[in-house]
Amino acid sequence: MTNADHAPLDPLHIRGLLMRSILALILASLLAGLAAIAHTAQATRQHAQQTTQTRLNELLDTVESTLRVACFARDATLAGELAEGLLSNSDVLSVRIFSDQAVLADKRRHAGNELQAMSLRRPIFSPFDNHQQVGEILLRPDPQVIEARIRDEVWFAAIQLAWQLGMVAVAMAVIMLLFIVRPIKAISDRLHRMDPTAGERLATPRRHAGSEIGQLVYDINALSDRLVGALAAEHQLRMQREIDERKYHAIFNNAESGLFIVDGAGTLSSWNPACARLFNIDPQRGDDEYTWLHVALLNWDSPERITGMIRAALRENSAMTEDLLIVDQDGDRHWMNIVLSPVGDNLLQGVVHNISHLKEAEASARQLAVTDTLTGLANRLGLEQRLQTLVQQYAYTQTGGFSLLLLNLDDFRRINEGMGLLAGDNILQTVTGRLSGCVKSGDCVARLSADNFGIILNDITRGDVADMIAGRIMNAMRQTYFVDGAPINLHASIGITIFPHDASTVPNLLRQAELAMDSAKSTGGNAHVFFDPILSEAAEHRRQLEEDLRGALRNQEFALFLQPIVDLRSNRLCGAEALLRWRHPAHGLTPPDSFIPMAEKTGLIVEIGLFVLDAACRQLLAWQQQGLDYTLSLNVSGRQIPDGLSPAKLRAATEHYGISPGRLALEITEGVMLSDIDKSLRWLNEVHASGFRIYLDDFGTGYSSLSYLKQFPVDTLKVDKSFVRDMQQGNNENTLVGAIIAMGGSLGLDIVAEGVELPDQVQTLRRMGCQYAQGYLFSRPVPAEAFPETAELVAERLATLSG
Amino acid sequence: MPRHRPILLFCALLGITTPSSAEPVVVVNAASSVVRLERDEVVNIFLGRYRRLSTGAIAQPIDQPERSPLRADFYRRLVNKNVNEIDAYWSRLIFSGKTAPPLRTVSSQEVATLLAGNPDAIAYLERGQIDKRFRIVLEFPR
Repeated sequence: MTNADHAPLDPLHIRGLLMRSILALILASLLAGLAAIAHTAQATRQHAQQTTQTRLNELLDTVESTLRVACFARDATLAGELAEGLLSNSDVLSVRIFSDQAVLADKRRHAGNELQAMSLRRPIFSPFDNHQQVGEILLRPDPQVIEARIRDEVWFAAIQLAWQLGMVAVAMAVIMLLFIVRPIKAISDRLHRMDPTAGERLATPRRHAGSEIGQLVYDINALSDRLVGALAAEHQLRMQREIDERKYHAIFNNAESGLFIVDGAGTLSSWNPACARLFNIDPQRGDDEYTWLHVALLNWDSPERITGMIRAALRENSAMTEDLLIVDQDGDRHWMNIVLSPVGDNLLQGVVHNISHLKEAEASARQLAVTDTLTGLANRLGLEQRLQTLVQQYAYTQTGGFSLLLLNLDDFRRINEGMGLLAGDNILQTVTGRLSGCVKSGDCVARLSADNFGIILNDITRGDVADMIAGRIMNAMRQTYFVDGAPINLHASIGITIFPHDASTVPNLLRQAELAMDSAKSTGGNAHVFFDPILSEAAEHRRQLEEDLRGALRNQEFALFLQPIVDLRSNRLCGAEALLRWRHPAHGLTPPDSFIPMAEKTGLIVEIGLFVLDAACRQLLAWQQQGLDYTLSLNVSGRQIPDGLSPAKLRAATEHYGISPGRLALEITEGVMLSDIDKSLRWLNEVHASGFRIYLDDFGTGYSSLSYLKQFPVDTLKVDKSFVRDMQQGNNENTLVGAIIAMGGSLGLDIVAEGVELPDQVQTLRRMGCQYAQGYLFSRPVPAEAFPETAELVAERLATLSG
Repeated sequence: MPRHRPILLFCALLGITTPSSAEPVVVVNAASSVVRLERDEVVNIFLGRYRRLSTGAIAQPIDQPERSPLRADFYRRLVNKNVNEIDAYWSRLIFSGKTAPPLRTVSSQEVATLLAGNPDAIAYLERGQIDKRFRIVLEFPR
């Protein structure tokens, strides 16, 4: 507030609004008054002259008739009398009366200026003839009298005007004082004492809410608000700037990144402590007067790169980044990532990071990508890269073939599951050591996955040499392993392929080696097998088969065949076993043995199983509608347990077709049960609890464990056909079948004899107490549509046998 | 002047019935050298403006009796004034004494006698009174 030291104004101050207005008013009044008076004087003068003329004329009118007589008669006496009479009027100064020949009278009151302009001349006519002029009269008014009259009138007008103007001026002054000066004075006084920052504001003077004064107060208050707001914002900004400055200073000093400014000539003008650390600048240096330093003087591995970078950044006027090597005082090399950004004025702002650890990590990551972390060997990618390199080298030089060996530890999964992953890892590491010992130092040993290893034998293209080395490896693998002091024996399967003899591309080499290894596995492992084109053909065949199987499902080429099962006690047909057939478009009717293993391997068995279930249920529904109480059994593979053919799916199918679960039997083999006992047992129990019947198929060929028989909810045993076929009088098999039947009977199980072909066998089985039989003697498996006809034939056959 | 109206009316009737015998004519003594006078000359002589004749003689005007109809008729015809106005005129001039009104008479016979006896005299008479002693110098148009 610049006027804070001004004293409040006296309203009567000479420069005050009121005094100024009054002075102006007086001046204006004076001017107006003068003008009005001048105008009045002029008008009064004219008016007075006119009045005088009129009066003189009127005066003459009153004496005209006598004047006529005097002039007609040329009577000077009469004329003199008349002139005297006229002079008695104060306005008249002089009178002259002429006849047509001479002056009749010439009278004058006193000497003085005659007013020529205002003199009145009138012709006098004969009293007897208005057209005959007989004389003339000349009247001259008295100018002094007229002037005095004018003066009086003007003076009166002036006084009147002065009164009016005076009254108006006083009224104006009072109005201004009351309505303008006093409110402004009040506002001014209040403004002097007011502290806007404390929130004080002007109050609107009384009765001025809607007036210009009120508007002024409102505007002043609004201005105060804005000024106070701006002041507060400015203060806030200054505080923020100070804080920011301190903050940036702190950031600059404490930054982990090195920050520096460098000019176009390469002179460092400022840097932060981190920068000094990274560049090995003496910390004291920044405090000296001699604070500049040339960037090329730092211990760069190649100083010309940083100077080139500075030039480029300035030339392109854009940020540049490069990784440069710097050497510290110990001679260690560090990678520095430098970013230079132009900041104008031929200056560059630099940010520097030590990225040595990043570079190391990068290098190690590159290494890691081709390395197996557990064993330190190359991984699959590493092996493939190595193979690729060798194949390419051969393409250029036509020299340097090699052998590729793929090795898989047999039953290694058993170690992992049985003894834990750590034990498995220990063994893998031991294997690594032994493999490395079996090959030359230039050869490549890689771990492809879990217990799969790959070995490249450089320059080995002869089968006998490869065979010898493979044998050596096999031998090394067979050595006893110790895990926590416990001895473990393992062996391996090896597939061998030779480049360029067997294949010329990396994928083919790997596939061939794998086929050879699979071949070694399929014969029970612990063997090494050279790749043979036959293996390739078999693989192709399998691939074709898989494709055909998918097509078969799509094209509904599967069909359910039924083989009757008969009740030997009641001599009647009691049900059938459902058998899957494939009506192959090219190979005709195909038995399950040739495609079920493939279906199991690829998981197609699940879909096929669902098809069988659906077809079986439809068949049971058909029988139920014909009033037949046959049962139908279908074969379940291990791959379908527990989820492929879950109890829920089974229940859903029977409920869908509205058939009793008791009519549907599920045939499983012992092998299925033994692969995962817990899983299988849960499945069996739930299926059995749902009302489905369980047949144990091929009984006698596997473990035939009695404890499992007790443990599992089995309803029926199916005696394998091999026992039935070899069954003869007094024969050992005979006894065995008898024992099975007796044992089943004692466990409360039903027995189905499979593969019955001869009437004698029926007799024997009957005698042994076997209730059910199935076989060619009664019927081969037949299509579902042929089953009613077959049922009649079976009935005839039974009648013959019993008869 | 409503009082004079019947007289004027009478004169008018007289004029019609006796066209010439009662109308006034200005006459002089037959011995006078004046033969003819203009109306203005007659006005100046009878109303006292000046009385010098072209012959050099001072004319002596003679008026008819104050109340005679001929006098009223004469002034009516000469200056279109009634006798009261003529009398008022003279009353203003008599005061100064510079000039005198025409000679007053008591009868028309006296007028004739005075005229016959004074060659500078000038008077007005009814046309019917004219004889060889007198000479007509101005006749008023009808």
